[in-house]
Amino acid sequence: MTTDKNRCVVTGLGLISSIGNNVDECWKNAVQGVSGIKETSAVDTENCYACLAAEVNDGTLDNVEGAEKMDRASKLCIKASGEAMKDAGLHDLGGSRKAAVIMGSCVGGVASAEHYYRNGKPASDINKIPISAIANQVAKTYNAGGVVTNIANACAAGTISIAYACDLIRSGKADVVIAGGADAFSSVPYAGFLSLHALDKNPCSPFNHCSGITLGEGSGAIIIESYEHAKKRNAEIYCEALGSGVSSDAFHITAPRPDGKGQMHAIRRAMENSGIAPSEVGYINAHGTGTAKNDKAEFLSLHTIFDGENDDLSVSSTKGMVGHCLGAAGAVEAVFSIKALTEGVIPPTVGYSDEDMPRLNERAGRIDFCPNSAKKKELTNVMSNSFAFGGNNASIIFSKSKGNVELPCERERIFVTGIGIVSPIGNGVDNYTKKTKLRQTLESVSAESTVCREDYDACGLKMAFYRKLDKFSQLQAVSGMSALIDAELSVTDDNAADISIAVGTSDGPISTICNYQEDLIAKGNAAGSAFKFPNTVYNAAGGYLSICSGIQGYNVTLTNGTQSGLASIAYAVNIIRSGQEKAVLATGTDENSATVTELYNKLGCLTDGESDGFRLSDGSTAIVLESESSVNKRGAKPYAEVLGCGMACKPVDFGELTGSDEGLDEAVSLALEDSGLDIDSIDGVVGFADGLNEVDIIESNSLNRIFGSRLGAVPIFNIHPVTGEGRAATAALSAAHASLVLSGKLGESVMSENLGEVGVSKLEKLLVLSSGAGGSYTAVIISK
Amino acid sequence: MNEQEISAKIKELLCNNLGIDAEVLTDDIPLFSDGIGLDSIDSLEIIAGIDEEFGVSMTGVGKEPFYNVKSLTAYVAEHLQD
Repeated sequence: MTTDKNRCVVTGLGLISSIGNNVDECWKNAVQGVSGIKETSAVDTENCYACLAAEVNDGTLDNVEGAEKMDRASKLCIKASGEAMKDAGLHDLGGSRKAAVIMGSCVGGVASAEHYYRNGKPASDINKIPISAIANQVAKTYNAGGVVTNIANACAAGTISIAYACDLIRSGKADVVIAGGADAFSSVPYAGFLSLHALDKNPCSPFNHCSGITLGEGSGAIIIESYEHAKKRNAEIYCEALGSGVSSDAFHITAPRPDGKGQMHAIRRAMENSGIAPSEVGYINAHGTGTAKNDKAEFLSLHTIFDGENDDLSVSSTKGMVGHCLGAAGAVEAVFSIKALTEGVIPPTVGYSDEDMPRLNERAGRIDFCPNSAKKKELTNVMSNSFAFGGNNASIIFSKSKGNVELPCERERIFVTGIGIVSPIGNGVDNYTKKTKLRQTLESVSAESTVCREDYDACGLKMAFYRKLDKFSQLQAVSGMSALIDAELSVTDDNAADISIAVGTSDGPISTICNYQEDLIAKGNAAGSAFKFPNTVYNAAGGYLSICSGIQGYNVTLTNGTQSGLASIAYAVNIIRSGQEKAVLATGTDENSATVTELYNKLGCLTDGESDGFRLSDGSTAIVLESESSVNKRGAKPYAEVLGCGMACKPVDFGELTGSDEGLDEAVSLALEDSGLDIDSIDGVVGFADGLNEVDIIESNSLNRIFGSRLGAVPIFNIHPVTGEGRAATAALSAAHASLVLSGKLGESVMSENLGEVGVSKLEKLLVLSSGAGGSYTAVIISK
Repeated sequence: MNEQEISAKIKELLCNNLGIDAEVLTDDIPLFSDGIGLDSIDSLEIIAGIDEEFGVSMTGVGKEPFYNVKSLTAYVAEHLQD
């Protein structure tokens, strides 16, 4: 049975969707089979074959504090989070380093991108566009001081957010988390799914007509606490959040594997990690989008796993009522699943006529798909499944029982065994080593990395594959494949599920998103490109990387500013330590282009060569992190060891850093704690100062406080003068740089910012730091 | 517009919209082969591009005209004259 230490409990629920502005309204309507799908008024439908959407109708969204600086997605999220907080009996998280916010989203503030291009490009829209803003704004509203990040795995994002929240609690890095997801209906996903002919012209009909999806919008939020935390404050507990499973298909960027292998892998993992058998699952809130490909694969997965094992399984898709809420879907459906569990009522799958029933009976077999009417049923374990673009699959189990969640008794050591670099000073580790030794500083105020035919050839990538990739995905594919080659790690049928991908990005495929939006404004929503649309999704790069590498394990894309490139390492460490995977490709990736330069220029972040500001660049850095047992088994040669990580936030307005100093101090203190070290054992720092005063002052002040009088003798390294500010790419490259320094690859001595050349033999442990707009920080300690 | 002009425009469309390397794209190379690797999403893009460029609708048309640049050109040429 799960020990109290590993118990995660749900203590609060919040929900806003097309069928209600709070949990009670949504639940009452869901049980009655009320659909929120109507003709849309929010986007232009001229010449479009489908005009339906499930939109939120709430006139109070603009009453959210600071609403003028937020996209609709954030407002929806704050509304749901507020309800969940209140429901849990909480009103302020007190800035606690163990209070986290993890939010999923697919398209983030893309509606603000439309506003930007339609209204003369006001700078005030720019910080509303990235997904990063959402968790930050929730953290600021409810004063969370711990891990704050967004999961950007498209339609699986909401479920992965909740899974990560539980992992953070079980690893001791959080004791209370606001987890969930949010997405607002907007023209990019509408036109994109339209171009793929994936929208149903009628209300979507999951597991029935299967002729497409209807997009929805909304937000779901749940408060998850460690059992001890909930008990201490006498919180009322809804249920346990047990284990989860996350996997990748390694198959196609938009279509699920027809054989359901990836889906089944996630579902089986969730049950194994929960310690429950297929026979013990009473209800599954299915992904059930209503597309032919999804529903067919999902029927197959469910029958394969449960037929013969469970004669009393109920399944429903609530998307027939609330539409497909994309990054919010997993969170909205988690709330429905928890309500079903605690109320003993299963919401229906709506949309069946009498004529449809014989076909359903044939497809359903012994599984009850709860057609049209809610069903009373005593439940102990419920499952919620989400399957996404990029071939990402996620499954999670909520329960009235404690289940049997077990974690490894001993913490495995984790090593850096491979590095892949795409940067504006060239690609590959050897090239980076050479250029770094020359110490040539970047001349240009805006620099771009490039990948060419030779890079693809070196990675074994064919034109039939790479032609589909936008620049963001190209950078990621080449760095990721290069890191695997550098680690001499072959992905085979035997180990594909033991290797995972954690992509960190500040801005995602922002050029593709903006250009897609501009095209729609110029040509209309009926003229969206089916080819380009998949690349507008943040997790496309991680999806393509799984396709070209064959990696089938955990796959996550996280986004919270520049520091996402280090946060991916912290995420990877968590995945390996929890025993879920043996190796993780942890990456940082961001792109530069005329579009990106325009956005940062308007925000006043860029230097003209003399003025306060940074030199904008881009790139991708991938680091293979591997468990000690895996390193030993295959005789890998590590560059360095990752000892520990710390993440903290002192939330300020998204886009700002000033006033968030304490967040950095906390992140360092948590990384030291995680590594079992004190500050005196740190021999040097790889910093994040990039030339923007606001950023540089935070770092220097914090280092002064942390090291005190010793600071003068501590070498500070910084790669920004050489590579520019490539955001997540530079953050991850800072960790790679530390590993290269410690391994001796950069020579017997290396150049520091403050002490000139420093002998490598004197360096044992380096502290790598990064910041994210909005006041989030990650610190990672890397050792020889 | 003669067939040569149509073929050139189709090639330009395929290279610009579907990321195909121009030097690989001959008139005869099968588009849905391993070499070029088009899939169902790409065929939607071809249909939209040909409609926009030539005003020829290929919605609901069978697989044959999509075989290579030559067959696409022939289809467009035939229906342009309608």
